[in-house]
Amino acid sequence: MALEFDQSLIGRVFEVTDPVSVTPEKIARFCAAIGETNPLYTDAEAAKKGPYGGLVAPPSFAVMFRNGRNFFEHVPRFGRRGFDAGKDAEFVAPIRPGDSITLTSHVKEVYEKTGRTGSMVFVVIRSTLKNQRDEVVAHIDHRFMNRQ
Amino acid sequence: MKNFSDIQIGNTIGPREQFVSKDECRAFAHSSGFAAPRFTDDEGARKEGLPGMILPGNMSLGLLSKFVTDWIGPEGGAQLVRISTTYRVPVQPDHTLVFQGFVTHSVPEERTAEIDVWIENEEAERLVTGTATVRFDK
Repeated sequence: MALEFDQSLIGRVFEVTDPVSVTPEKIARFCAAIGETNPLYTDAEAAKKGPYGGLVAPPSFAVMFRNGRNFFEHVPRFGRRGFDAGKDAEFVAPIRPGDSITLTSHVKEVYEKTGRTGSMVFVVIRSTLKNQRDEVVAHIDHRFMNRQ
Repeated sequence: MKNFSDIQIGNTIGPREQFVSKDECRAFAHSSGFAAPRFTDDEGARKEGLPGMILPGNMSLGLLSKFVTDWIGPEGGAQLVRISTTYRVPVQPDHTLVFQGFVTHSVPEERTAEIDVWIENEEAERLVTGTATVRFDK
């Protein structure tokens, strides 16, 4: 049976966050939390001689930007409570100290899968990150799974 | 510096071990604003039906990404352009995690390689799996 939900949700932007500034301290805290020691991300002087001409955040720093307070109200629910099943992150351009990042989010797709434990519905929310120059720096697809 | 011509399907990365402490897990949760009890204290996690504290999914993604960028090395010459992760089993701190990967696919026209990557626990159970795409400058 086809999934029943409001198809007009697909592709409709439901959220644009306020810009969040990127500071060297935020990058340093992220690096410390994952044990990052690569000088491209941790040593401003050494990074000047590197491929980016200065300090940049590790690529996965892009997943640290939070969606808005009402984000989950816009995630379609199916069956029991959903949970975070995974993420797909595309890193388009480096994030640098001094950048100001905005997230724009929409429902990308909804699909059903049947596994050993029964039927599951996946909801994918895409958040696109842009910097203060309106350049896309990353796309983050949040994959939420609901058991039917 | 790694070049695309050095990459062959079947090349392995790792294994590399990393002990992740509860304090590191808490630090990540607080720095990311995801300081839910399941990420910060055992008692709070058990109230949610978990065996104890778990790592935020974003932390697993960050650790797997770091595993790949460490393989690329600080000289650059390649970039991690995409990573896809699936959270199969909750990852608990205060354990040694094992990171592994192998090259499954390459596209010469784009100078990209796809690498299956995963995190195992001490019992060789795959907790988080993923696919990383690396693009080479040369």
